[in-house]
Amino acid sequence: MEKVLTTCIYCGCGCGMFLHVDGGRIVGTSPSLAHPMSRGSLCIKGWLAADFVGHPDRLKSPLIRQGDLLIKTTWDEALALTAASLRSIQKEFGPQALGVLTSAKGTNEENYLLMKMARAALGTNNVDHVARLCHAPTVAALGFALGSGAMTGSISSLQSSDAILVVGSNTTEQHPLVASYILRARSRGAKLIVVDPRKTRLAELADLWLSPRQGTDVAWINCLLNIIVQQDLADRQFIKERTDGFIETLQATSAYTAEKAEEISGIPAADLVKAASIFGLASRGAIVYAMGVTQHFRGTDIVQALANLALATGNVGRDGAGVYPLRGHQNVQGACDMGALPNVLSGYQLLSSPQAQAKFVEAWGGQIPCEPGLTALEMLWAAESGSLKGLIIVGENPVLSYPHTSRVQKALKGLEFLMVSDIFPTETTALADVVLPAACFAEKDGTFTSTERRVQRVRKAVDPPGEARAEWEWICDLTERLGAKAEYSSPGDVMDEIASLTPIYGGISYERLGPDGLQWPCPTKDHPGTGVMHVSRFPHGRACFRPVLYLDPPETPDADYPFMLTTGRSMYHFHTGTMTRRTSLLDREVPTPFVKMNPEDARLMGIRDGTKVRVETRRGSISVEARLADGVHKGDLFLPFHFSEAPANALTAQSLDPVSKIAELKVSAARLKKEAP
Amino acid sequence: MKAFLPKDQLPFLLEELGERIEVIAPVSTDAGPSFVTWQGQPLDLKDKPLTPITEFLLPHKEALFTYVQEAGRYIFKEEEIPSRLLFGIRPCDLHAIALLDRIFGREPPDQAYFRRRRATALVVQNCTSPGRECFCAGLEAGPEAKDPCDLQLTDVGDGFLCQAETPAGILILNAGRALLKPALPEHLQEKAKLLQEARRAMPQDRSCSQIRQAMERADWEALGRECLSCGGCSFVCPVCHCFNILDLGVPDGQRLRCRDSCMLPGFSRLTGGANPRRTPGQRLRHWYQEKFEDIPQITGLPGCVGCGRCHLTCPAAINRVDLTVASRFVDDSSEARR
Repeated sequence: MEKVLTTCIYCGCGCGMFLHVDGGRIVGTSPSLAHPMSRGSLCIKGWLAADFVGHPDRLKSPLIRQGDLLIKTTWDEALALTAASLRSIQKEFGPQALGVLTSAKGTNEENYLLMKMARAALGTNNVDHVARLCHAPTVAALGFALGSGAMTGSISSLQSSDAILVVGSNTTEQHPLVASYILRARSRGAKLIVVDPRKTRLAELADLWLSPRQGTDVAWINCLLNIIVQQDLADRQFIKERTDGFIETLQATSAYTAEKAEEISGIPAADLVKAASIFGLASRGAIVYAMGVTQHFRGTDIVQALANLALATGNVGRDGAGVYPLRGHQNVQGACDMGALPNVLSGYQLLSSPQAQAKFVEAWGGQIPCEPGLTALEMLWAAESGSLKGLIIVGENPVLSYPHTSRVQKALKGLEFLMVSDIFPTETTALADVVLPAACFAEKDGTFTSTERRVQRVRKAVDPPGEARAEWEWICDLTERLGAKAEYSSPGDVMDEIASLTPIYGGISYERLGPDGLQWPCPTKDHPGTGVMHVSRFPHGRACFRPVLYLDPPETPDADYPFMLTTGRSMYHFHTGTMTRRTSLLDREVPTPFVKMNPEDARLMGIRDGTKVRVETRRGSISVEARLADGVHKGDLFLPFHFSEAPANALTAQSLDPVSKIAELKVSAARLKKEAP
Repeated sequence: MKAFLPKDQLPFLLEELGERIEVIAPVSTDAGPSFVTWQGQPLDLKDKPLTPITEFLLPHKEALFTYVQEAGRYIFKEEEIPSRLLFGIRPCDLHAIALLDRIFGREPPDQAYFRRRRATALVVQNCTSPGRECFCAGLEAGPEAKDPCDLQLTDVGDGFLCQAETPAGILILNAGRALLKPALPEHLQEKAKLLQEARRAMPQDRSCSQIRQAMERADWEALGRECLSCGGCSFVCPVCHCFNILDLGVPDGQRLRCRDSCMLPGFSRLTGGANPRRTPGQRLRHWYQEKFEDIPQITGLPGCVGCGRCHLTCPAAINRVDLTVASRFVDDSSEARR
């Protein structure tokens, strides 16, 4: 038996764990006692993280489409067909007819190589990934406000906070180890304010639970800022010395009185006053948030409003004080860092910067297109309209995870060429012309970057099944077939190139990545990494306030669709369930799709726990079991999106945030009726 | 048979043994100690690995057999069980093995368990420096090994006092005959003294009956609100042994036995959807009831060996011994453990 130290594959916590390998198979998982995040603990998904690895459903050989069938082929044929198809599209329609969706489940090295392939070999900036549907608003808003779109401190520093404001995050279920640090602070006496329409476990444990109507966040956040300033709890010195734009923001927020915010959000004015004084009086205030904040058609504005609140109270740049966006995938931070985004190169270096252009052209040879490319949903729209012809999707299942399923399917079916790489067959591989079998996290080497900017090693514990390969290997192969250079002997080699071109990763190399990893910015080989950012200055000098105003969500309940539908995750499943639904214990916990509704609503409609109901929106309809939950407001519905047999995203819309291009996944007007038994 | 092994000779003994059998030993890694196949790595005989040695008898995931369909008939094949010597296990873990022997040995005996158990030799290291989380003394599971094992070692300063208890133990010592010296009466005196000190260093208020009293006082729903339902306590407990069986693969595949956890709601969910242990508090209560009331009735021994691993792994603010709401990181700073 050997035990291989690696990093968990599920959420952004980045827990350090051992995979127990016996006879070439993984027989167990355990946490690392010494790891700065996990410290001997894991969540239930973590304890079972490697259970899916040897599952018989794994893709084991490359497949190519022949009519309605996907048939086995060789790597050489699959890659030759891919290269030829991409080249012919490129020749006939230009590079803008091609796109790449990279994977937040892949390693940093793989994301870097994919964005290099897109830019240097395909000649397009149409490269994006699932961050577009999670923290694109964070990257945009915190990038503008603080000069960096990442968590400002370390997760463990939360335990030294005096007040923690948790917004739109079901932390005990989705980031349990982050929750453990929040609860640790609470047992030290810190005040906990939870803002969530649902009464989550953390809301039950909070000093104050604020329950806003869906999509009204800007109103109550502006109101908190307004009250804090009125009560003279703002940090005037911090504002004066380190920020710009406060006066304009103050003018905009002054309209948001507690009474007005109550009218919009439904949060009692007295609670808003209480929350403002708790947060305003805290010497170390932390703001923790997740998808409940970002997945809105004005997601960037909501994040900016939170940043305004942190800046006005001087809660940035110290242990236990800061802005803590919780990332959903174990490497969505890294995929962003690697420049798998349409407008930046690795390390958020702007495409428009001549110096950055020159540096990358020199390293890669050839040309890099200057114009920003399309975002993920824009690529699908372009496919729908026929202007995008060829797409590579790596380790993602947009048919289930993107809003408005039928439109996504239509777009993908309309492509001339679709290549998908994954570890399991998915609803998306079913539409592909070429399917590549990938090695999973336990079968390859590389690095992941956690939500606290911690770059950590992932290590190979077992061989991939059949002919499956680590994605970095075929990406290099395909890049070379497309005529660009990609000669690397190992992922460590790729990291050396990343470090040479990416200032925030400049000091990172495999030799330096011990069990604690390194937190970026880590600019030089002797730099110890950065736990708390923005201590004495912001990357762009001074932090920026920006006034934001409340707008009604694009859809509100009406006579035809009287319910407010929101989507999210269950504690026992992850995303589209390709891994967790193949983990027997997790699948046992939540084997079937469900919609959570208020018991009073259910009683009026004659619905019991377990009754089959049909949920409909203007986009589609699905059939699921009802679950009665006291924590759900009257008039609200909560639907998890893991289940292909009842895809939540058949119901969601594609209304996009104008800045970050994230879709409104949290608010849809819906109706519900009992299914005939 | 008694002998004395000087400390610097230990790797040579393991090398000798490693040529005959797979030796599992607690090795030192920069992420903490762990039990793995010894291939010359530095040992960590001071700190207790978080994953107990019982994973070698009851793996978290094990293939009971493979099935292959051929011409309309099924052919079944059991996997080969490796012979192993488990070196440096703690008295608490040995006591847990004694408990598992009783539990799995009830009629009908669990063959999958005993196939591994019979292929295993046990070398125990008595605990002369218990961890902060340990309370085995109160449960009579340590710090000195009292349960059957093949060889018992005690670190008496410059070497180990070795006491073989079975023919296998004598064979183990014989393998390292050239490395051994005679055991002296002073070694035995030193052993008694060190173990007495170790016993005294542990909390004295952690007996089975005292924990039962804490159970009566506990506010289970308040504790349950803190519980994050990670299942960690049951995955690191050397006594926890619940499992689930599933067949993976059609038409050919494997029958797997996987560790399960009563801390998960699905464990007790009934077919119709009702659940007698709905809340985390009820499940936590059940966990303790099993260990301190049910297992003692069935086996005559408490179902807890006082290793304190549940306390080490619990991410919630629950004191797993006092059964109060208190973060382990408040009274027991994490830095001290690192």
